[in-house]
Amino acid sequence: MKIVVVCENLGNSPLELIGKARAIAPQAHIIALYESEKAPLEKYHACGANEAIGIGACGDDCAQGNRIAEAIKKIAPDSALFPATVRGRFLSGWVAAELETGLTADCTELMITEDGLLKQVRPAFGGNLTAEILCKEKRPQMASVRPGVFTVNADQAPEKPLEKSLLSLSPVLERMEKIAFQPVENDVSLQSAKVVIAGGKAIGSKKGFEKLFELAHLLGGAVGATRSAVDAGYIPYAHQIGQTGVTIHPELYIGFGISGLVQHTVGMNSADVVVAVNTDRNAPIFSCADYGIIADWEITIDALIQYLKERKNAK
Amino acid sequence: MLNILVCLKQVPDTTEVKLSSSLTLQRDFVAQVMNPADESALELGLKLRDQHGGKVTVITMGPARTETMLREAISRGADEAVQLTDSAFAGADTLVTAQCLKAAVTHLGGFDVILCGRRAVDGETGQVGPMLAAMLDIPCIANMTEAKVEDGKMQALQLTEDGVNTWQTPLPVLLTLCEWSHRLRLPTLMGLKKARSAKVQLFKPADLGITSCGLKASPTRVTKVSSSPVGVRPCKKISLDEVIKALEEGGMLP
Repeated sequence: MKIVVVCENLGNSPLELIGKARAIAPQAHIIALYESEKAPLEKYHACGANEAIGIGACGDDCAQGNRIAEAIKKIAPDSALFPATVRGRFLSGWVAAELETGLTADCTELMITEDGLLKQVRPAFGGNLTAEILCKEKRPQMASVRPGVFTVNADQAPEKPLEKSLLSLSPVLERMEKIAFQPVENDVSLQSAKVVIAGGKAIGSKKGFEKLFELAHLLGGAVGATRSAVDAGYIPYAHQIGQTGVTIHPELYIGFGISGLVQHTVGMNSADVVVAVNTDRNAPIFSCADYGIIADWEITIDALIQYLKERKNAK
Repeated sequence: MLNILVCLKQVPDTTEVKLSSSLTLQRDFVAQVMNPADESALELGLKLRDQHGGKVTVITMGPARTETMLREAISRGADEAVQLTDSAFAGADTLVTAQCLKAAVTHLGGFDVILCGRRAVDGETGQVGPMLAAMLDIPCIANMTEAKVEDGKMQALQLTEDGVNTWQTPLPVLLTLCEWSHRLRLPTLMGLKKARSAKVQLFKPADLGITSCGLKASPTRVTKVSSSPVGVRPCKKISLDEVIKALEEGGMLP
C-alpha cells in the first residue's frame, strides 16, 4: 500500500498526516510529496515517511495543482492526504478533479478497513452526526484533514533511511500571480495557546469581543470564535475554531454565549478543561463542558475580569 | 462587458437534518434558503456587472423547488437563470456536481467570471469551486473577500491562515467567496416583477450530453452515519465562584 502526503506547507500539518498514515498503515510505503527546498525531510522520516519526493515550488497555485496531480499520477498511490488549510483544501479539490477521483474534506478520523480501503470519517450536518465515507473504485482515495486534528508523533521513523528524490514534471502555464501579501497580526497563536477564550454570536458586536480579548490578556491566552460570530463580522476569520477553522488543544477553554454546534465543538473538544457560559441550560455546549455556568455571558465575564484584576493587584 | 455566472446552492435553513434510507440528506422537512456564501458571490457578480456592463446568470443543480431560489436571485438583480434538475442528478458528490456544472458552463458557451460560495453550510466541503475551475482549466482564487476587474484582469484578496494574498489573473477566472464579504442587496419592485415572469432555463442530463451522474456516478459513498457523542463530558453546572475555585485548585489561573 502506498500513501502520499502532500506537504503543502512548512507547519506541523504535514507531519500530523504522515504520523497518522504510519499509525493506521504500519506496513505502508509512505511518501512525503514536498514543494519547498526548506521542507523538513528528516522530520518527515521521524514521523514515519519512507520516501520524500520533491517537485519544487510554483507561483501559481492552479498550475501547482496540475503539477501535484501529475506527480500523484506518476506515483500511483492508493491514497493521497492533504492538509485542509485554505491552500491545501484548494489544491485537494483541484487535484481530485484532475485525477477524477473521490475526495472527502475535513476528515476527523482515518482508518484502514479489512479490505484495505481508506475509511474517512467526518462530522456531518450540524446535528451530532458522523459520516463514514469510502471511495471504493477510483484511485487514489483522497482526503483532507484540518491542521491540529491529529498530533505530531516524531517517534515513528522507519528503520531504513529516507529515500530522497526529485521528480521532474511537464512545464505548466502560469496565469496567476501573487502581487501582495499582508501577514495577519497575531499576538498569540490560537492554535498553540494554553488558554482560549471563545465567543459566539451572542457576544453581539466587535465591542463585545473586546471583553474577551481583555480576559484572554489577563489569562495569557488567545481569543477564538464560532463561525456565526465570524460570519457576523465581529472578529476575523483567523480566530474561527471548528470544522472550517482552527482546531485547538488548550489546557483551558472558556466559551461565552456559545450554543455548541458540532462544527464548533469538533475544534475544541480536546481541551483539557472546558468551561461554558450560556443562559440556556439545554445548550449542547454543556455536554462538552466540565463546568457549566448558566448565566449571562457579559455579567459573568465582567465579574471574572474584575476578580482577576483584583487578584493581580493583591499579589 | 462581463459575462458572469454565479453558482448557487439551496441549503437547509437550520442545522436540523434528517437522513434518508440511502444515507443521503433528506432535505424536505426544513425551510430552504440560498447558501450564505453564495449570497456574497451573487452580490459580487451584480456589482461587477453594474461596473462593467454585461449580464449575470445564476445556475443551480437541485430538485425542482430550487426554482424559487433562482427566482429570488432574479428579484435581486440577476439577469438569467439556469436550473439543472432531474432525479438522475440526485445524490451527486462534489466531483460529479462539478462535472455537471462544467457540462452546463460549456453548453452555455463559457463565462468571463464564475463566482461560487467558498463552501455550503450543509456539506461544508468547499470543493466544488476549485474542482469546477480545474475541469474548465481556468484560474481559481479560493476563499476570497474583495475583487475588482481592471484592464481585463481580475485582482482578488484571498484570506488564508497566515494573512491576505492579493492575486492577479487574466480572465476567465473562478472565484470562491467568503460569507460575510458582500451583503446581498434587497429585491427591487422591478426585480420582483421580473422574477415572476422570467423564464428559467431547464436542463436535464441528456441536454448537456451527460451520460452518467448522480449518486451512481459518484466515487465517494457514505457508508455509515452515526450520531457522534463527540466529547461528552459530565458537566457540573455551578456558579462562577465555584468555577473560579475549581480552576484555582487546578492551578489554571495566573
